Parts: sequence; structure tokens; C-alpha cells
Amino acid sequence: MTPLDEDLPPASPAETMRVIEQQRAAAERKLQPHPMVFFGPWGTAWLVGFGLLFLRFGPDGRVFVPMPRWLPLTVLFVLLLAAMVVSTYLSGRTVRHVHGRSSVKGAMYGFSWFFAFMGMGLTISRFDDALSDVDKGLLWTTVSVGLTGALHMAGGAVWEDRTLFALGVWLTVVNVVGTLLGAGWHSLVISLAGGGGMLLVGFVQWLRSRESGHGGRT
Amino acid sequence: MTDQLPELDPVIHAQARLRVVVALSTLHDGDLLAFPRLQEILGMTAGNLSVHLRKLEDAGYVEVTKTFSGRTPTTLVCLSPRGRLAFNEYTAAVRAMLPPPSEQE
Repeated sequence: MTPLDEDLPPASPAETMRVIEQQRAAAERKLQPHPMVFFGPWGTAWLVGFGLLFLRFGPDGRVFVPMPRWLPLTVLFVLLLAAMVVSTYLSGRTVRHVHGRSSVKGAMYGFSWFFAFMGMGLTISRFDDALSDVDKGLLWTTVSVGLTGALHMAGGAVWEDRTLFALGVWLTVVNVVGTLLGAGWHSLVISLAGGGGMLLVGFVQWLRSRESGHGGRT
Repeated sequence: MTDQLPELDPVIHAQARLRVVVALSTLHDGDLLAFPRLQEILGMTAGNLSVHLRKLEDAGYVEVTKTFSGRTPTTLVCLSPRGRLAFNEYTAAVRAMLPPPSEQE
């Protein structure tokens, strides 16, 4: 076979496969956001924020760690806001210069989070006056976490990502379990199983991406 | 398919162009990559990359779109369906040339 020009073929089939695997891994590393870009900040926000809520507003009104009433929710909101800023910035930096279908999908998906939560907030605030403080808190968190679970499942469908879909199912299930256990317990379940679960998923995906970057596929 | 080893596609079977095609093959269907980003991923000079893209475009393997983002001209690149097919066939042909994998692993 005659080469087309001075761009010479790789030395052997094995060398060719090595070039393919290496270049594929390099391109994927540069074009796909690191899994921890999403799961790191969001998982930490849930773990710490809901953890503080549990410690301050435990089951049956127990206070495990004394702290001002405003502190847990403030920390949760600040961390959620930080997570939104950090993950948007870092993922945007990775996918910049990729145009076309994925960027449209990404924009629609991001918008659906924003819009769904705005709609949820506006509708729930219409009803929550009638509830006790404890039930009010549980209503807001259970609907918020439930919506998050649904959006994760939808994200799994959009990107054909089974892990993301499974995480959505998991969040939906633990949310129901936590809500059945009642206020206080719900915070603990969401902190550990929800936030901890996200961190674990991110960590496992990161390990997997490292393996495929070094070894090549089986 | 015959018993003989298939002839490898000379357009793809070349160090630099192979890397261009591999990098573009990691894009999702329907996505396009801006020229400077492709250049950064491959670590090629703009001139060198242009030459190889031209050859891939001539073969019908790559689609190059010139567009504007605001007032800045942007060149967007992606594999054509034909290019994707050619790359899959190329990969399959190279795999067929490898010695069969050993049983123990």
C-alpha cells in the first residue's frame, strides 16, 4: 500500500491501536467534564448542609449540636449556590468550542433545572403557611430532593448515562424513605445517602475514567 | 469479507490524520468542534492541521463549516457519516491484523 503523502503510517497494527487508544483517551479527557466537577460540589453541599440541618433540627425536635437556628439553612444555600457557580464554570470551560446538538441539549437541561425549581418554589409557597414549622421544612426539602431525583433520571435519558439515571432512582427512593421516617431523619438520610451517594458516584466514575485513560478497553 | 487482510484506508492510515480522525470520533453525533480547540487537543500547528483536514475533507470524511460567532469567524469541524464509517472499518481491519488475544487474563 502506498502512503498518500509524507504523513507516514504507524509502524504496526499494535502501534496503530496504541495511537488510537491514546488519542481517544486524550480527547475524551479534554472534551468531557471530569465527573467530580458536578458530583464534588453538589455532593459536598448536600452532605454538609443537610448534615447540619440534622444536627440542629433532629428527630422530635432534638438538638444534637447547639448552633443558631439560621445557620444550617444558610450554609446549605451558600454551598448550593457555590456548587452551581463552580460546576457551571468548570463544565463550561471543558465543553467550550463544542457546538451543535450537545450544547443545545446541555442548555435545555440546565434551563429545565432552573425553571422546574422556580415553578416548584412559587407553587409550594402558596400552601406552606398552613403548616407547622417542622412540616414546612420537610415539605420544601422532600419536594426539592424529589425534583432533583427526577431531573437526574431525565438527565440519564438525555445522555444515555445509566449511572446518572441510577443516581436519580436512588435519590427518589431515599427521599421517600427519609420522608416516611419523618423530619430530622429525612435530613440525615439526604445528607449521607444523597450527598454521600453523589460523592461516591463521582469517585467511582473518576476511577473508571482513569482506568480507561491508562489501559485501553477490554 | 474474504480471508485476505483488507487493505487499510490510506487516508486514515497515517500518523497525523489517524489522530485527527480519532479525536473527532469522540464527539457525539451532531456535534462540531472549533478548529483552535482541535488544534490544542492534537498539539499540531494550524498549518499542519489545515493540510490534513483538507485531505480528509477531499475524501469526504470530514465536514468543515465556516460560520460566525458574533463577528469572529469560526471554523467548525466534524466527521461526516462516511468518515465515521470509514474509521470504524479501519479500526476493525487493524484489529483483525492483531494476533488473537491470549486466553489467560
